[in-house]
Amino acid sequence: MPREIAIGDALVPGLFVLFVVSLALLWLLDWAAGRFGIYRLVWHPPLFRLALFVCVFGALALTLF
Amino acid sequence: MSAIDIEKQAPATRQIVVDTLREQVSIWLFVFKTMLAFFLTGWIAMRLSLPAPSTAMLTTIIVANRQSGMVLAKSFYRAIGTLGGAVVAFLIVAAFPQQRDLFLVALSLWLGICSGGATLYRNFKSYAFVLGGYTAAIIALPVIDNPPGVFDSATARISEVLLGLLVSGVINDTVFPSRMRDVLRRTAREQFAHFVGFVRASTGGTIARSTMERAHLRFVRDAVTLEDLRSSVIFEDAEARARSGHLQEFNQRFMAASTSFQSLHHLINRLKRAHRDTTGEALIALYAPLGAALDAPIEAGAAARVLLPRLIGARDEMAAKAPLLREGMTDTQDVRDFDTGAALLRRFTDELYAYVDTAATLQAPRIIAGSAERVRFARGNDYAGAILATFRTTITMLALGVFWILSAWPMGSSAMLLATIFAGLFAAAPNPTRVTGQVMFGYLIGMIIGFVCEFAVLTQVDGYPLMVASIAPFLMIGLVMMTSATLGSIGLGYSMGFAYILAIKNPMVYDPVHFINDAIAQVVGLSAAAIAFVFVPTVIGSRWLRQRQLARLRGQVALAAEAPLPGLRHRFESINHDLVSQVVSQTEPGSADSRALLAWALAVHETGRALIELRHDLDRGTAPGGVRGYIDTALASLARFYEAPDAAKYLLARDAVATAIAAVSEKDASHGLLEHLHLIRMALLDGESVLAAYMPSAPLAQEISNAP
Repeated sequence: MPREIAIGDALVPGLFVLFVVSLALLWLLDWAAGRFGIYRLVWHPPLFRLALFVCVFGALALTLF
Repeated sequence: MSAIDIEKQAPATRQIVVDTLREQVSIWLFVFKTMLAFFLTGWIAMRLSLPAPSTAMLTTIIVANRQSGMVLAKSFYRAIGTLGGAVVAFLIVAAFPQQRDLFLVALSLWLGICSGGATLYRNFKSYAFVLGGYTAAIIALPVIDNPPGVFDSATARISEVLLGLLVSGVINDTVFPSRMRDVLRRTAREQFAHFVGFVRASTGGTIARSTMERAHLRFVRDAVTLEDLRSSVIFEDAEARARSGHLQEFNQRFMAASTSFQSLHHLINRLKRAHRDTTGEALIALYAPLGAALDAPIEAGAAARVLLPRLIGARDEMAAKAPLLREGMTDTQDVRDFDTGAALLRRFTDELYAYVDTAATLQAPRIIAGSAERVRFARGNDYAGAILATFRTTITMLALGVFWILSAWPMGSSAMLLATIFAGLFAAAPNPTRVTGQVMFGYLIGMIIGFVCEFAVLTQVDGYPLMVASIAPFLMIGLVMMTSATLGSIGLGYSMGFAYILAIKNPMVYDPVHFINDAIAQVVGLSAAAIAFVFVPTVIGSRWLRQRQLARLRGQVALAAEAPLPGLRHRFESINHDLVSQVVSQTEPGSADSRALLAWALAVHETGRALIELRHDLDRGTAPGGVRGYIDTALASLARFYEAPDAAKYLLARDAVATAIAAVSEKDASHGLLEHLHLIRMALLDGESVLAAYMPSAPLAQEISNAP
């Protein structure tokens, strides 16, 4: 994946695109976790969510570098 | 003796200390979190070398709130507004790059539309509109001399605002979050316990009309509070989001059941008043099993399910009891009244069962597969207020723009920007003149303190940590003020003025002349917004708007009589509740306005629901030929009467309903219809209701129940 992507002739950093993608992914995971009550097993759900986001975003960003 | 006194007092004193400490902890937690978000945002913005870190930092102040769910909800809508505003700024600059007059007109119109939209919503959706206007202004105004720079300006402002939102969202969500989920859970549970308790307590018979009005007020408030909480909590809690559909259904069934319950009691009251005790007593006797069924401890968590089999038992018992009670009556009039009441009671029992069923589903630890029925809480918005707000903001902006062009003022854009923020932010406030005044006062102090901080303190220090240390004490004052009820607006103004005038950037620029010019421009902008609120007063809370809302409430009967049926029951209930709660929050409790409103609300509620049920039955069964025409005439005349009540229309409606009843009872085939019509007729003839003013002369007690 290129480090910069041209969207409508504007150069957008690839990281930003991945950021949006991982936000969407997180939203999906969050929905699933809420639906099946997974957050009941976690001590601090928002912290868990944040950590999960960092993991998802980091993993995706690794494909860039 | 004294020892006993001390023992008695000690827990109380300790309680006070604990409560005070808890309150203080919550205040300082808010201050700490907001400052953390503020400085973290600034640091990240400088690391990413964004052109204006102060915009990002100001954003964290604007979204600061003690409830985490609120921050997320605000941030979500703000993000939408920011992106929308950026697109519009782009279009405006692209359309009029060399026409400053047209550019300013277009921008003023957009800002006006945004503040109009902000008045339409009472929750955080209004932020989307405020930010739509604000973002368009902060993107477009700085590049008015340099249109090609609009793209860079847009990307920079969007990055800054979104960064501020992201950081404050994350901080508020993860660092000692204070959850609204618990408030929601408690509210739902209280609503349930209160309603079930009220139903149980009133099986004894008549309820005074004033008690009824108070109960209605409470039901309305419960329903609207629950909906408001729900729409915020779904942003902070994934589980609440998953249950959102069930919660909406729970609320809908609550509104339906409480309306039927009130109709039933109005009916019993009327019978009692007309001294038709046989029927009244029979209905109360019929009702008794329901009270017995509900007589179970409901405070404990998972108890709603316990009530379900008991309710089924009560329903069977009532079905068995009804014919026995009916046999004992001789008068045909009594029989007819009893049939009406029994049908109403059946409806109420079914609705109560559905309500308890949803409550049980909500209390279950696992969400049962298959989402609830899609329902929406419809709002009763008033567009006249929005148009007035649009007009006010547009005029303010145009006046400032004209002044800017004529005086060739270098700081004109700064003034316009500030006016934009405040015109939008306070358009929906109930008393914007006072609030803007307070905010302006705070803003002035904030700027003076900002001057001291910037030129006396910041010039002495070097590096980010020292800057934080030197800004924090000044900022803290404003944040602490924001948490207090009386100083809240001043605190908000102080914090905003302080953060905005410091204009922190990297490297920092110290320019007293520019500072003072900017401060003057901001004060001019703020005053323009404040003056506009005086000259074009807001309609919220005004007599005119109340009259309109009352007319709208009455128009709900026309809605019930004529709107397409699918989903109508819920639409009717939710708009009713929203309208009533709006007016209630804007009137003094116990005032003449408030009482008139409640009286109308009860009448509209009862008649409207009966009309909807009648139309449902009419649709379901095959009405005998000829009857339909009479019923349609009755519906239409009722709708006209409620839309603009007067004595002539009242007579028309009364006679039309009487004719329909006569027509239906001749055919004698459709019992359901007859009972609904009978209920409508009795509501229309109720001498104690608000309709009494339109009756030709107060009807005799006999006439009420002997109505054909």
